[in-house]
Amino acid sequence: MAEDLVLDTAIRDWVLIPLSVVMVLIGILRHFVSKLMRSSQVPDPKIVKEGQVIVRARNLRAGANFIPPKAFRARRVYFSNEENGLLFVPKGQAQNAQAQMFSDPNMAMDMMKKNLSMIIPQTLTFAWVNFFFSGFVAAKIPFPLTQRFRSMLQNGIDLSTVDVSYVSSRSWYFLNLFGLRGLFSLILGEENATDDTQRMMQMSGFGFDPSKILCL
Amino acid sequence: MAGHTESGAYDKSTNDLQTTNAENLQSNMKVIYYSRTFLSIIAGVTAGIFGFTSVTGFIFYFLIMTITSIGLLSKTKFTVYSYFESWNQLVLDGFLGGLMSFVLFWTFAYDIVHIF
Amino acid sequence: MVTKTEETQLNRLESQVEHGGGGVWEYLCLVRKLKVRRSDKVLKHGLSILNDPKKRSSLGPDEWTLYEQVAVAAMDCQCLDVAKDCINVLHKRFPDSKRVGRLEAMLFEAKGSWEEAEKAYASLLEDNSLDPVIHKRRVALAKAQGNMLMAVECLNKYLNIFMADYDAWRELAEIYISLQMYKQAAFCYEELVLSQPTVPLYHLAYADVLYTLGGLENLQTARKYYSSTIDLTGGKNNRALFGICLCTSAIAQLTKGRNKEDKDSPDLSSLAAAALEKVYKQGASDKLPILTLALKNLRVSS
Repeated sequence: MAEDLVLDTAIRDWVLIPLSVVMVLIGILRHFVSKLMRSSQVPDPKIVKEGQVIVRARNLRAGANFIPPKAFRARRVYFSNEENGLLFVPKGQAQNAQAQMFSDPNMAMDMMKKNLSMIIPQTLTFAWVNFFFSGFVAAKIPFPLTQRFRSMLQNGIDLSTVDVSYVSSRSWYFLNLFGLRGLFSLILGEENATDDTQRMMQMSGFGFDPSKILCL
Repeated sequence: MAGHTESGAYDKSTNDLQTTNAENLQSNMKVIYYSRTFLSIIAGVTAGIFGFTSVTGFIFYFLIMTITSIGLLSKTKFTVYSYFESWNQLVLDGFLGGLMSFVLFWTFAYDIVHIF
Repeated sequence: MVTKTEETQLNRLESQVEHGGGGVWEYLCLVRKLKVRRSDKVLKHGLSILNDPKKRSSLGPDEWTLYEQVAVAAMDCQCLDVAKDCINVLHKRFPDSKRVGRLEAMLFEAKGSWEEAEKAYASLLEDNSLDPVIHKRRVALAKAQGNMLMAVECLNKYLNIFMADYDAWRELAEIYISLQMYKQAAFCYEELVLSQPTVPLYHLAYADVLYTLGGLENLQTARKYYSSTIDLTGGKNNRALFGICLCTSAIAQLTKGRNKEDKDSPDLSSLAAAALEKVYKQGASDKLPILTLALKNLRVSS
């Protein structure tokens, strides 16, 4: 188990480097494609107003010490009284963000576009990697790992005797997928498409509810 | 390194009151994030070329991050609170995000130089 | 907000452009980005690009942005023919654009045909009730006609949606002051203080309004805000120093005869007076006697 495997230099020239280059290029391509597909949606007056109310309420919270108590109380009532306060949401009426999203076809469409621009290239690259480069070791990570990582890193190789630090090409693909995010944010600027991954993860996790945040 | 920490953010502590300019704070955070990502990539390539393995590599990463923190600190002229809300922001932000990039580039450079 | 580095960069580019050193397009971009008002320069240099077909076509799609910028600058300089030409070109290129429609309405406004402009803005607002520029133009229109109540109404409508737009709050406060509606103005200034608590100007203006309103409570609050102005400016604001003296004397007048409850800061006004005397001694020593007389009068009346 300890002896070193000798890896063919052809693997380097035809697997390791091309795979990384392709991943970078696809990332850049996706950035520009999603930029092109981004539709300029007409903002909903209610949403715009909500955003502005939140900004103002946040200012009020932050700067409460700067205005006379009477003025603060007046504003607090304006924002949060139980009849028609701006931030008051009657119980049960609070819309679920998810439901709202599906009721609005535009928003669903937008989400779908984003999804497509992310999933299609990923499935394609994954299929490509699987088809061409499966079944052999492509790289070696320079630190030892325990056996538990075998299924993760030696995806596609069914040998239990190979040292875990040897990595199959499919796993190299995953390593690229996660590790290149930092590089993209450097070369593509802030609003790159890959950040959508994180946003989506957050979105599915919790329904954003402004009233909950502000009722501290 | 340590890019261009903008001296825009001011949180003027007048007596007991503290206020921060959210926009400038955000831009400072962005600067930190960028310099950390950039340095973790550079550190990964360097570690790979020098052929660091296992613990040595991670120690190298910690070292680079510490140096980054010190560099950023000297950029703020050792007055962290006039640029950031807390020390944690300066020292810890982007640490784990950079680790992934580090591992990738470390592996890449190491394989190309030493394995093949 | 234009920061200092941006301003020096702008000035450097401007002098470079003025002396024919190139970089005209960069200058125009910077002006647009910083939203500064240099209409004469923009008009002059923008036209020089637009009149040169080669330079113009090298801009690509940015050409239309430049047309818009020059059109607005031309209206600002009352070169209505130039503005009209630019708008016509844009109209030919984008026949249905709202943005061009906005420019046309602005041209009416620049000509002074208020009713047509108002009609144009109203129809634009019907299509897109969320265009902040059009809302602001309507306020400006009302103000240009001298119809302050209308301006207030429009601004309120605008602030009802965009309540985090603090320039609008400031404008509203100034209009209220010009209408002598100080209570409403005070509300606006509270809003401004909330938004940017470190800007001393808002504290000062708020204190002024409170002082004008009068009444013991308001005067005391005004004095506090004058003090905070001094705090924020590091004691370099003469208006606030005078304000403290005036407030103290007014408070003393109101509480005369009653038991002296206001003893929380007995030497505030004397400190302010001393600071003022020092400033005058340094800056304008010939006016010092007038100052001392005025301060003495204030103290005598108390």
